[in-house]
Amino acid sequence: MGKPLMVGAVAYTPNVVTIWEGIREYFGDGPADTDFVLFSNYGRQVDALLEGTIDVAWNTNLAWVRTVLQTDGACRALAMRDTDTAFQTMFVTQSGASLGGLESLKGKRLALGSKDSAQAAILPVEFLRRAGVDLDDVSLVRIDSDVGKHGDTGRSELDALRAVLDDRADAAAIGITTWEAIGRDELMPGAFEVFWESPAYCHCNFTALPALTHDRAQPWVDKLLAMDWDNPAHRPILEMEGLRRWVLPQLDGYASLFEAVKEQGIAARW
Amino acid sequence: MVSSALVLALVERVASVAQGATVTVPLHGDEPDHVRGLVSAWCARSGNELVDVRDQAVTVRRGRSPDPFAALAPDRVPGARLWLYTNFDCNLACDYCCVSSSPRAPRRALGLDRVRRLAAEAADAGVSELLLTGGEPFLLPDIDALVAACTAMLPTTLLTNGMLFTGRRLERLRGLDRSRLTLQISLDSATAEVHDRHRGRGSWARAVAGIGTAQAEGFRVRVAATLPAAQAPEIAPFHAFLDTLDIAAEDQVIRALARRGVADHGIELTVESLIPEVTVTADGVYWHPVSADHDDQLVTRDLFPLQVAITEIRRRFAEHRKRADTAAQWFPCA
Repeated sequence: MGKPLMVGAVAYTPNVVTIWEGIREYFGDGPADTDFVLFSNYGRQVDALLEGTIDVAWNTNLAWVRTVLQTDGACRALAMRDTDTAFQTMFVTQSGASLGGLESLKGKRLALGSKDSAQAAILPVEFLRRAGVDLDDVSLVRIDSDVGKHGDTGRSELDALRAVLDDRADAAAIGITTWEAIGRDELMPGAFEVFWESPAYCHCNFTALPALTHDRAQPWVDKLLAMDWDNPAHRPILEMEGLRRWVLPQLDGYASLFEAVKEQGIAARW
Repeated sequence: MVSSALVLALVERVASVAQGATVTVPLHGDEPDHVRGLVSAWCARSGNELVDVRDQAVTVRRGRSPDPFAALAPDRVPGARLWLYTNFDCNLACDYCCVSSSPRAPRRALGLDRVRRLAAEAADAGVSELLLTGGEPFLLPDIDALVAACTAMLPTTLLTNGMLFTGRRLERLRGLDRSRLTLQISLDSATAEVHDRHRGRGSWARAVAGIGTAQAEGFRVRVAATLPAAQAPEIAPFHAFLDTLDIAAEDQVIRALARRGVADHGIELTVESLIPEVTVTADGVYWHPVSADHDDQLVTRDLFPLQVAITEIRRRFAEHRKRADTAAQWFPCA
């Protein structure tokens, strides 16, 4: 047996161990033997990819953008979750606050998540820019409570919502997954409401460099895409990772983040 | 706002622990029923599990706990077997009887009508085996009708001391359905001494004779012994003796002595430690046959509909298992 394909992932929750041990077991019966390495943050993970320590990085959208920028585009995405193709940012306020559209944030306080969170900090600012809202007219309340993990823990988004509840902010920008996690506006009627939701964009993907040959990558991708929601052995992993099926990447969905990174002068490396 | 903060706290805390682990979030004066409804709804959406709401705190498990029934053999899943105490009076007064049966014990018979209805409802409820016990069932003049009502619906085992297979009782035995009935006869030792010490002089010889009679009549015979831990050395000779009686290995059953009924020693059994086997007496539905005379394991006084009692026992068992799992999370060893 040859050397296993090494995949990097960031340990943003203890469940990551369970997920990746499950994936390793799934790949164990061939033809693409796989092992994994966990990192404490996406910076170290991308470094490891560039250094060849890992063959594939399970990257956030910001980690993908930074990998592209650091390699002058000499990298490729192998696959993503179905849920990664339709990620959104939700602008949330207290129910009845009478906010309508991004323009209504002028003169208001907007709570943002961690500064390296695409969904809760970088893209919200980009969406304001695209809407023609001058950032000098909005008071940004930045909550950098999980920097390094690109917002994966969701903690900074929950803190942003708490800021709204505590009247330290008038609105918060959060990812669709956090909005779903709190039960949207259905579980706690009268608590929060969405006053603007972003166009869909892409989130995570498996990123590889040219050093990973097509002959090694393709069997791995084929096996990954063969995971089946209706298979009881596969289902727990898919549920924990937040998808129903793996799909081929849709790179158009990263355009808004590339533009945001450029506009906001976010460094390619950190 | 308190509810909103609670949900935010749950999202954050649950995300920070591993699958299967539990988190406990304090409440701040929230009304427990409201919290239970809110958290139940959140868990249903998020794929997690509400463990408990009490003492001004809510406990939630990340993910869902494993199916407590999955680890059990199919015939041990609560509700697979149904025990019926046909009566409590007995021709013996064993000194360890878990339900205090004796010649002086009131009969407390289930009666044919209830047995017939229970057997029919058991079949509909997914029960796969009926077990009739007492007391001594062969004291009942209508034991043949009781057994026939059961074997007509499901495979049945009849527990007896095997001492009464004479006269009209033998005729009743002969009328039973051999293809659907197993006789389980109590015998505690390979020699008379130990058996008779607990069950009365001469009882061993009559039980061994009863085994022979049942076999001669073409019944499958299972032999069950009740042995205190101190008698463990006698197990091997006992099996050897049963082999000489042509009792199949799978029909040689050794039971531990439980400190129940008139037994003054034995293992302690509680609803938390016992895998339930639904047990019906004239007085109610109980957790397990070993505790069918004890209110601490009474589940309901309502015998009918049987399905309700079975469902309740399964629910309580699942709850006990989940609590035990949670306790294991709360009290790690180091």
